[in-house]
Amino acid sequence: MIKLGISAFYHDSAACIVKDGKVIAAAEEERFTGIKHDNRFPVNAIKWCISEAGIHIYNINEVHWYESPEKKDNRISTTFAKKPFRTFFLNRKYKKSKKSQDPKDILESMGYTGKIIYHDHHYSHAAFSYYTSPYDSAAILTVDGVGEWETTTISIGEGNNIQKLISIDFPNSLGMLYSTITAYLGFKPNEGEYKVMGLAPYGNPDIYTDKLLSLFNNTSNKYFIDQSPFTWEYSDKVMFNKKLFKLLRLQPRFPEEEITQNHKDLAASLQKVYEIQFNKLLITAKNITKSNNICIGGGCAYNGVANSIAYKHFDSVYTPFAPSDAGSAIGACLNEKVNISPYLGPSFSDIEVKKEIDKFKSQVNVFKINEDKLINKVARLINGGCIVAWFQGSMEFGARALGNRSILASPTDPKMREKLNYVIKKREGFRPFAPSVTEERYQQFFQMKETSPYMSKVVKTHSKNIPSATHIDGSCRVQTVSKKQNSKFHKLITEIGSQSGIPIVLNTSFNLKDQTITLTPSDAIERYLSSQIDFLIINNYLIQKKK
Amino acid sequence: MILLNWIKRKIKKFKEDRAFKKKLEELRKRDPFRYKNF
Repeated sequence: MIKLGISAFYHDSAACIVKDGKVIAAAEEERFTGIKHDNRFPVNAIKWCISEAGIHIYNINEVHWYESPEKKDNRISTTFAKKPFRTFFLNRKYKKSKKSQDPKDILESMGYTGKIIYHDHHYSHAAFSYYTSPYDSAAILTVDGVGEWETTTISIGEGNNIQKLISIDFPNSLGMLYSTITAYLGFKPNEGEYKVMGLAPYGNPDIYTDKLLSLFNNTSNKYFIDQSPFTWEYSDKVMFNKKLFKLLRLQPRFPEEEITQNHKDLAASLQKVYEIQFNKLLITAKNITKSNNICIGGGCAYNGVANSIAYKHFDSVYTPFAPSDAGSAIGACLNEKVNISPYLGPSFSDIEVKKEIDKFKSQVNVFKINEDKLINKVARLINGGCIVAWFQGSMEFGARALGNRSILASPTDPKMREKLNYVIKKREGFRPFAPSVTEERYQQFFQMKETSPYMSKVVKTHSKNIPSATHIDGSCRVQTVSKKQNSKFHKLITEIGSQSGIPIVLNTSFNLKDQTITLTPSDAIERYLSSQIDFLIINNYLIQKKK
Repeated sequence: MILLNWIKRKIKKFKEDRAFKKKLEELRKRDPFRYKNF
């Protein structure tokens, strides 16, 4: 049985091939097009997945679509009908775009005429979280902006079954609230939420928390949000109106404007409100499932600070490597537990790499070194203060670079964060970087109950020796690396530890400002040459700019 | 004195409201800056 999983037309389009229950290949469209969060039909990702699986499109038995277009259409039509005059032009625009977004028509034009199975948006999130988790039974909490109608669900997973217990519908949406305040703070929604999270520890949450909480009406299992300050139901331009300003008495910020203490306070308050509401959902999930394990899914599961709250109620917490819509392409295909790795994207052989390097030979010196010597050399470079781009094996699926498309540096240098933020990535200075630590020694440095292989939990550190990977509030978004998960990256961090005593490396995605994560060796070399990264490692090739 | 303070507060509020209105208009003119839910 060969299944093609697809997510498209919302955020983060992606595709995957699942053969006899095993995920063979998966990739996000943005990596091929270079457009961040590309939401168009993932033609390039599908083509690559099919070629990687060594099949043709007519070999596919079933296509699994990550949501129900019919239910989504019902939600949008019902919403527009509430304000028919105000949404007249928007409705026309929507109907026009809908015509070109029929999965059946698009797939037929690609040569696929077989069965298409549509799943509920939040089921796809829940399935990806639960079926890829290590549990035989667990509570499942999914939170995002909106799917068809649902914005939040609580389910229980037992064996290979998922049963939905509670759902909260649009327009009551924690994800939409977070995105609205993200936009209010001058960051791009569906992208800038990370920045708001990073900004929050600099602010005082007491300033706006009560004001934001006054919008909520909580019943025993659900939350409702007062819609009067928001335009989610009738505008495609901005997400708020003057009532939000009247509530906050703070002007919205344009992206180019300076970030003031008020903005930091609003970010802190939003994060606190999100955590309060998320905690209530966790308590409900615990009470109705009685489970000791929880799987968290949906775009909001990238909120690592909130995820860590789950330990108050559950013994074990799992967040998959791509909890947002991209992962739903895989989730839609799954109906049983799977062993899965996040390294599901394109990889390049030494021959392919060498061919690309040769195109740049006038600009770079290249050394091919055996693995042990390379690891030793790279560890010395990182411990010596160099910034190294690390390109290995198959590309990661999901928003995080987990050691195959990473920029690495020493977390012990207090100036490294500033250097990486301002010089290399050219982004806001307040944004933190994640530490990757070996699984054998994470408890020595971090207050963690269990491992965090996908950088999904934000925890406090015991150590004062990793200033560049520690946020202002003493927290870190940690990746624990095991030999089984990524042996070469594990070996590198172990060697860094042998040389310096600290088996931790600062790990950020291999991309420059406004770029998607690096896909090919050619992109890697071009980006290396246009930046101030000191060394580039592709497979076992060490590459250095000619002086 | 109380009346003067009241007038000052009203003027301040009026100016803030006007500034917000201008910002909102500017935001509407820019590329859609919102979470896609349609």
